[in-house]
Amino acid sequence: MIEAQSLTKRFSTTTAVDGITFSARPGRVTGFLGPNGAGKSTTMRMIVGLDRPSSGSITVNGRPYAEHTAPIHEVGALLDATAVSGGRSARNHLLAVAATHRIGARRVDEVIRLTGLESVARKRVRGFSLGMGQRLGLATALLGDPATLILDEPVNGLDPDGVVWVRQFVRGLAAEGRTVLLSSHLMSEMAQTADHLVILGRGRIIADAAVTDILADAGGTTVAVRTPDGGLLATALEAHGAGISFPEPDLLSVNGLDSRRIAEIAAQNGAVIYELTPYAASLEEAYMALTRDDVEYHSAGTPREATR
Amino acid sequence: MIAGTPTPSTVVPAGDAAIRHGLSLRGMIRSEWIKLRSIGSTWWMYAALLVMTVGIGTQMSSSTSFAWLGDEQPTQMGMQAAAVNAMILGADINVLVVGVLGVLVIAGEYNTGMIRSTFTAVPRRVPVLLAKAMVFAVVTFLVGILSLAITVPMSIGILAGNGIDVRLDDPHYWRAVIGSLVYVVLVGLIAFGIGAILRNIAGGIALALGLVLVAPIALGLVSGVGPQLVLRNVSLLFPINLGRALTAHPGYPDFAAPGEPPVRLEGLLVLEPWQGALGLVVWVVVLFAAAVVLLKRRDA
Ligand SMILES: Nc1ncnc2c1ncn2[C@@H]1O[C@H](COP(=O)(O)OP(=O)(O)OP(=O)(O)O)[C@@H](O)[C@H]1O
Ligand SMILES: [Mg+2]
Repeated sequence: MIEAQSLTKRFSTTTAVDGITFSARPGRVTGFLGPNGAGKSTTMRMIVGLDRPSSGSITVNGRPYAEHTAPIHEVGALLDATAVSGGRSARNHLLAVAATHRIGARRVDEVIRLTGLESVARKRVRGFSLGMGQRLGLATALLGDPATLILDEPVNGLDPDGVVWVRQFVRGLAAEGRTVLLSSHLMSEMAQTADHLVILGRGRIIADAAVTDILADAGGTTVAVRTPDGGLLATALEAHGAGISFPEPDLLSVNGLDSRRIAEIAAQNGAVIYELTPYAASLEEAYMALTRDDVEYHSAGTPREATR
Repeated sequence: MIAGTPTPSTVVPAGDAAIRHGLSLRGMIRSEWIKLRSIGSTWWMYAALLVMTVGIGTQMSSSTSFAWLGDEQPTQMGMQAAAVNAMILGADINVLVVGVLGVLVIAGEYNTGMIRSTFTAVPRRVPVLLAKAMVFAVVTFLVGILSLAITVPMSIGILAGNGIDVRLDDPHYWRAVIGSLVYVVLVGLIAFGIGAILRNIAGGIALALGLVLVAPIALGLVSGVGPQLVLRNVSLLFPINLGRALTAHPGYPDFAAPGEPPVRLEGLLVLEPWQGALGLVVWVVVLFAAAVVLLKRRDA
């Protein structure tokens, strides 16, 4: 259980985290989403005390992280995979971290196996690929068999196998009753992995809700209707309260009516239909709609309207 | 989840992590020892320390004799001082090695980012700084003892061949020889403190070597009386001069200029060995205090 209360972090020129209050509960994967610079990593660093909050508090299982007697048995953190000395082997890195809590070599070899690092465990970390580094970070986080895991973009740099593995792994951890806080840039990834989303924009919370609720709020279902009788059908549908737009000359995009109702109205009015396709709003679209005004760094040449 | 309650698990087997020990200084010391020994460059620098001590000690011993006195006989005190002189010159080189190593041990961890893993495991931070300093100091001391255990017998043998019979019941000899090692270890800790404050390898090494070598040499160029005398007295507070005090031998005038009355500049202070040691310890304590204050305050 992670609980943030009015958590704020100011750097000299920016307010990275601006008075956020949220919690990540046991037994589910809490997705931490937000555009670049939204404050996700800063918040995660504050959980384990690497950054000091400017004000507010953040606790793990009711206490600030530093006040636990066995911190890495409490929280496992993968914050950035580069937090390793390049000149040391992966195994020695793990042994050194483990030793602080008197965790022995057997456990180290166990997490090495678990994360698929056997073949490179005795090699210097300097030569590791991004994905290998992520696996080592994950292995470090798992050393203490913690009930709470904080993973900052864990799939960053992983191959497709690795991505699927992490997804199942994270789901499994939550199913065991652990608390998992996971950040990612991949909204599609979140849809498959997270139960609950905390969406940040410019250091503030934009949304804090179950994934299903966020999807439902994103405007329900749109139905694409391909028809030569566009004008006629549009008038009839609008009379039934639908919202209509014409992305293409013979294509209607209908909001507010389901496919069955649309087909009935078309039959009553003698309109021909070639195609009738319902689209659920994707989490991606929901997310874009939510964060449109909070994106700090817009890609050049992409006008905001393009996302509509 | 209640702290200390292992989670029954299939995804991540608890394995040995089911037995939970809290953070302990013992564990942190072991962790720091693993870190120190698993970086190759550490051992190269310790090898340099050993080779330098043995090499310079034996070289100096073989080039020390009182043959230039002709018929006159050197005093026993003079011979003791000659033996000390041969043994301690290496320390002035070794402080440069540990000056670099002390900075590397701590600032290197900031440089690689490893410090974030370290502070995640030990979020209180201060104990880990002390454990790291302790491991570094003890290993440096042990390497130094090994170097001296090799060098002292060789030096004594070589000096005997040059007609200098070293008496081993001279407490000043042992205080100076062991003192040279204490000097090296404490300079290592001074460098460590500087590295912990600056968190930057290049800046740390520049400042540590500047403090140990450059500044006192620059000040040492000033000599004479009046206000400059004050400067010379102030320069006694630099580690190198504190080290000199710690490794001084009372027979030095009999070695440097036998038969002549010792010259003492009016108003120039001479530190006792214990004052030299104390001064070095004060340096370490002050730098560590600053490092601890900053450590608690800064983001990692
Ligand atoms: N040490 C620091 N000093 C100054 N500003 C910082 C520091 N760390 C982060 N920031 C700023 O704080 C803001 C939040 O950064 P943070 O890394 O938390 O964002 P993020 O959500 O993790 O972004 P990303 O998705 O790109 O990883 C950014 O504007 C960043 O520039
Ligand atoms: Mg980030």
